[in-house]
Amino acid sequence: MKELQNKVKQLLNDKEIDLVIGWSKGSLPLVSTPVFITEAEQSDQLIFDHTCRNNLATYLTKDRKRLGKEYNKIGIVVKGCDARSIVLYVTENQVKRDKVVIIGVPCQGIFESRKIIDATGGREVLEQKIDGDQVILKGRGFEIKVSRDKVLRDCCLSCRYPDAPEYDYFIGEHRGEIDVKDEFKLVDDFEKKSSAERWQFITEEYSKCIRCYACRNVCPSCYCNYCFVDNNDPQWVGKTPEVTDNIIFHLIRNLHLAGRCVDCGACVSACPVNIDLRPLNKKVEKEMKERFGYTAGLDINEKPAMASHRENEKQDFIMG
Amino acid sequence: MIKIKHEQLPALIDFLSEKYQVYAPVQYGKETAFKKISSASEINKSKYNTSLNPKEIFFPQSEVMFTYDKEGIKTPLPKDKPIAVWGLKTCDTKSIRILDEVFSNAYQMPEKEMYKDPYWIARYKNCLLFSSACNEPLSTCFCNWFDSGPFDKTGSDVYVIDTGNEYIMEGISDSGKAFLENYKAVEQVTPEDQTKIDELKKKAKSYMQPPVELAGLKDKLQDIWDDPIWDEVSAKCINCGACAYICPTCHCFDVSDEGKEDKGKRVRLWDCCMFQLFTKEASGHNPRELSRNRVRQRVMHKYNYFVENYHEFLCTGCGRCVQVCPVNLDIRRVIQKILDYDKAK
Repeated sequence: MKELQNKVKQLLNDKEIDLVIGWSKGSLPLVSTPVFITEAEQSDQLIFDHTCRNNLATYLTKDRKRLGKEYNKIGIVVKGCDARSIVLYVTENQVKRDKVVIIGVPCQGIFESRKIIDATGGREVLEQKIDGDQVILKGRGFEIKVSRDKVLRDCCLSCRYPDAPEYDYFIGEHRGEIDVKDEFKLVDDFEKKSSAERWQFITEEYSKCIRCYACRNVCPSCYCNYCFVDNNDPQWVGKTPEVTDNIIFHLIRNLHLAGRCVDCGACVSACPVNIDLRPLNKKVEKEMKERFGYTAGLDINEKPAMASHRENEKQDFIMG
Repeated sequence: MIKIKHEQLPALIDFLSEKYQVYAPVQYGKETAFKKISSASEINKSKYNTSLNPKEIFFPQSEVMFTYDKEGIKTPLPKDKPIAVWGLKTCDTKSIRILDEVFSNAYQMPEKEMYKDPYWIARYKNCLLFSSACNEPLSTCFCNWFDSGPFDKTGSDVYVIDTGNEYIMEGISDSGKAFLENYKAVEQVTPEDQTKIDELKKKAKSYMQPPVELAGLKDKLQDIWDDPIWDEVSAKCINCGACAYICPTCHCFDVSDEGKEDKGKRVRLWDCCMFQLFTKEASGHNPRELSRNRVRQRVMHKYNYFVENYHEFLCTGCGRCVQVCPVNLDIRRVIQKILDYDKAK
């Protein structure tokens, strides 16, 4: 942590960057909060731990002004997935590589609040501490120890690239590529279900949607200036949160993320009604990998999947 | 004050169901929400407030205002039995009463200027609210900032305290008192029960952080409307609607026509000032194009404009927005920052 703070302090002092986007301690024990730092002495606020759930890359495209100003060069603290989003931005011409200074941090996985709630039997956690590969959770009248793997997000448990594939500085030890055996197990299981079961899953999950669009707004890959759901002339999607319109919203978002989703889990963590968004996201990711050999955000020189064509691509979906 | 044993709750719910549609907290997917129940077995008995808000009982996320076809227009106002709600926390009850001021206009305006919302009134009329004392406030709770607290009775028809094996009940409003008089299967409260209540009250109070003094907040906000502080406050907001849709007092809505020339409906839907589309005008101009202006709007509406019009805050400190905000933009920290802010510096 100190190393990260010192690095940022130095970069701001040396005027190598004029803003840094990072995480600081949140107001609740299990969540951090994004922070925007322009003064070297504020660097002490920076943290990196299991609570840093937001994909900070999203702030590079959503609104180019922060704190009322535009910046020449922005430093950004990144996990592997955040860095992949920046790589995606560069390949999609949204961010110029020389305008960002990428500061990688070694990610050990991020907490899933829902799993922690389950681990405590619904009791409120007031304090958490890491102890080796265990997490100590304390609340009123209880203290429990759970294995860290039990309370990490699913996307972290099947994460192949915890390190930033592209960075200017890296703080701490690299973890390297992880040999995940069952990265797409979730999708494989989903595909084994009958179509009736799959439909039941989709209708049950998406009927809960309250259309707050937290998933879309935290998503680094959702940066359209004007989202199709916001269009009202013509209105493509009904505004009533009925299951059919909810499904249209989520499925179109899914397809729009083909070859662009880095499985950072930001949408899953953001959903206030805990919709299981991941199976369909991961399904599209799997298709992109198997059909087009494409994994988003790994190679800064690669053309975006939807803007390129390879001769050996499978075309059976066209030819029948 | 009277009491019933926990085992007697099913009988109470059955009795209520004769005259009322009964709503109570139930498990809803991984969340808890207020839904219509037919028996006490459906009730989720969590000590905490529900994850989804209770406003949807009276002000659903989408409401058909009227339908039309070649025959004419039909207004499908709900005509069911009146609504009784079990399991509200004091903050929830207060929020429903605040919304009633908006939709029924209890606020003292000349009669002819009053707006009375027929859809709200159709559900709210003759409702019976069972408001529970909160034995275990969460760390996100801040009801004590708003002249309230976990054991506040304000707004209850029937005030309920759960002692662990019994529900102690007190009729507060006329309808609440009348209900308890009609409900025979009860015991009287003993002095020991009173001791128990005092202990629970003391414990709940000890769980809460000391309140923040909000007396100067409204004027302070007025003063900093055009201040750069809003750039700082709003910097991390991603402008989703999670806070507003989870909030029990946010009540802005949109009206949408769905259908064709010969058949269709007009629907009223929750809307949210965090969305760009909320203020986008037909010309394409948007007076709240910037995120800072939208965040400011939400804070101003809750802690300034509403206070101006209704003499109370549009917030009951339930803490739901604190729990769900994807970027931990904690409204308590925002208020504190504004109170601490010295414009001159």
